[in-house]
Amino acid sequence: MTAPAPLHTAAPGTGLRARARRGRLGIVALALLCGLVAILVIGSRPGDYVPLSTENSTPSGARAVAQILRGHGVEVRQVDALARAAVREPDATTVVVANAALLTGGQVRSLVEYPGDVVLLGESGAALVPLGIDATEEAILVPRTVTAACEDPDAVAAGTARVDLIGLVADGTAATLCFPQGDGVSAFARVEQGGRTVTAIASSSLVTNAQLDSAGHAALAVRSLGRHADVVWYVADGFDPSLLTWAGSGSGEVPTEVEATPDFLPPGTGSAFYAIALAVAVAALWRARRFGALVSEPLPVVVRASEATRGRARLYRRARATGRSAASLRAAAALRMGRRLGVSRTDGRDALIRAVSRAADRPEADVDRLLYGPPPHDDAALLTLISELDALESEVHRP
Amino acid sequence: MHITGWTVALAALGVIPAALTESRTTAWAWIIGVGVLALLDVWLAAPTSWVGVRRGTPGSVRLTQSTHATLLVANVGRRRVRGVVRDAWQPSAGATGERHAFALRPGESETFRTSLLPTRRGDRLAGPVTVRTVGPLRLAGRQRSFEAPARLRVLPEFASRRHLPSRLVRLREIDGRTAVRLKGAGSEFDSLREYVVGDDVRAIDWRGTARRGEVVVRTYRPERDRRVVIALDSARLSAARVGEAPRLDASIEAALLLAALASHAGDRVQATAFDRTEQARAASSGSQMVAALADALATVEPSLLEPDWPALVRLVESRVSQRSLVVLLTTVDTSAMDSGLIEAVVALQRKHQVLVGSVEDPELGEMMAGRTDADAIYDAGAASRAMLEREAVATRLRQLGAEVVLALPDDLAPAVCDRYLALKAAGRL
Repeated sequence: MTAPAPLHTAAPGTGLRARARRGRLGIVALALLCGLVAILVIGSRPGDYVPLSTENSTPSGARAVAQILRGHGVEVRQVDALARAAVREPDATTVVVANAALLTGGQVRSLVEYPGDVVLLGESGAALVPLGIDATEEAILVPRTVTAACEDPDAVAAGTARVDLIGLVADGTAATLCFPQGDGVSAFARVEQGGRTVTAIASSSLVTNAQLDSAGHAALAVRSLGRHADVVWYVADGFDPSLLTWAGSGSGEVPTEVEATPDFLPPGTGSAFYAIALAVAVAALWRARRFGALVSEPLPVVVRASEATRGRARLYRRARATGRSAASLRAAAALRMGRRLGVSRTDGRDALIRAVSRAADRPEADVDRLLYGPPPHDDAALLTLISELDALESEVHRP
Repeated sequence: MHITGWTVALAALGVIPAALTESRTTAWAWIIGVGVLALLDVWLAAPTSWVGVRRGTPGSVRLTQSTHATLLVANVGRRRVRGVVRDAWQPSAGATGERHAFALRPGESETFRTSLLPTRRGDRLAGPVTVRTVGPLRLAGRQRSFEAPARLRVLPEFASRRHLPSRLVRLREIDGRTAVRLKGAGSEFDSLREYVVGDDVRAIDWRGTARRGEVVVRTYRPERDRRVVIALDSARLSAARVGEAPRLDASIEAALLLAALASHAGDRVQATAFDRTEQARAASSGSQMVAALADALATVEPSLLEPDWPALVRLVESRVSQRSLVVLLTTVDTSAMDSGLIEAVVALQRKHQVLVGSVEDPELGEMMAGRTDADAIYDAGAASRAMLEREAVATRLRQLGAEVVLALPDDLAPAVCDRYLALKAAGRL
């Protein structure tokens, strides 16, 4: 009896540890890559590119003015929903609303009801008149640097300002308009109303990072925005329908947390879905681990034997080779009939015609025309010829 | 390393604490906990090097027949090993049920069977064996693949063997075992024996009678010990597919049936497969011939080369010195005119009898009969042209004295054998 073949085993030691030792360079590279990605992720806070946002450091942002205000001891707080403003002391807080034109009617009403100071930046649209500024907006085509030309102390302190983008045209006399251009379009409006001040800086470039250092912009911005120790900054985006909240609004309580979009699902659903997503990731790991590699196998080429003939048929078709096709089919039919009737190919044309005409009981001229006649000129003639030829052949092959 | 479905189930249970605490941190903590448990389980799992395997395969199997390979799994470690092993095979080995779960105490072994149903002729190789061991918590384990070479030889199907009994009956008729032994074509002088009543008087050998002083008759027997050389063309044209299989497979069927028949008839058969060089060779006598030929031809694959016909002629000349029947299983088409086939037949026919067998394509027949529209007529025209060219080559070969058999793939083997029997009956071997 022969000794059984030795057992095959996995060579010990070439497991994960050995592979780690061998692939040390790869692991170091992977660690470096992870570190780099982490640094990039942590180092780059998500960029804020919303115009007039206090976090936006691009030319259209308002980060510079917010920092100047903070430097003067004013606390600037930007909120992403109007309801999050939660103003505790309306008397000591300025609510700054950029792009008030995007506010809903309810939001404008809540601003009207709000007892503290309000500053509107940029395009305000339909929010102007309810807030007491009886003016309409008009586009400014040619920017110009103009003087205050009004009584307002802030405007007078600023001196000059460059008026750009949007201006205001007075419809009444309630509001004070400053920095008028030649045609009466002003950049700044202010109205004292029921113990509060509503200011509109229509030409929003006055407070942007790009223009803040020119003319008297900084002075105007700091004086009109920094009247109180607190500034709540809100950039309207049209997606937030919540109302301004302050101590005394609604039920009289200052809401601590307001759900911007109310959730109708039971509490914990979100985190449950999160856990399910993690479990799905684990399931992916489970399924992704292959039970051994695929086994490769050299496969033979697959070429159909009829490829060459099919190619020739396509050439015939493209060239509309009716004559050549008919000649082939006639020759093939003649060969088959000759075999059937015992006429060899060497016997010649006449012998075959005679034999076929006898077998099919047809005139010799007819057989001659079908087998050796002129080539057909088009597809129709070809089809007719071949059907006649088939009929002849079936007569010959009739038992 | 691998994880099991239990790990996923455990991870999914994390939904409950996450929903109750309404916190994503809980979900993360749960997942990390599951991960730590899985890692612990991997650490506790038996090393894969504790598992030894030994493969066993049947020597050979005929195509379309199912068989099984065995895989012995042994625990050569110090502790109990639980896991799964995968017995991987090449796809056309048709392996099913290749995963086997095992739980073995130290020193124990178990043998598993993987059933194989090969779909292609030739040598099918086994892939690596993959071993997974599972830790005590059943959450995760270790995984390794390693080579354990094995080979399964898949012999040609030899579907044409169903034609063998009817051909053997015909052989016996020629043979004379069922008919009166008479001198004639296909028989040769056997011996002289004493005349008994009932013998044909025409068989009396007068010269022998005069010499021996008693009436003796000549007895005859069919020709035996003729040489048959089967040459399979495994070159370019044999790779083309006719129906589902390459032309070469039909040639192999024909070679096997002819070898079976000829060895029953007492002829000496040898076979060769060649393209530019000899790919396979089988020469044996008696009943082992078919088995040897099937084994030799199992691994022959068509090569994309032009056949070297002069080399084949030299090969045949060096193998046989007597007059033989040379069966060329090749492709007769218009390329034979310049590939050297004609010249080879001329050279071989000088001394031997040549039989050329070629596979016809049933698709060409369908194309030739197509009459549905003008495009089909063009197809029919092209197919007719190809047929005429083939007929021209066949006619040329017949003029040279060779026998030509053109047949559909399934009919080639019986047609070649019928022609062999006809030649034998006519005494032309």
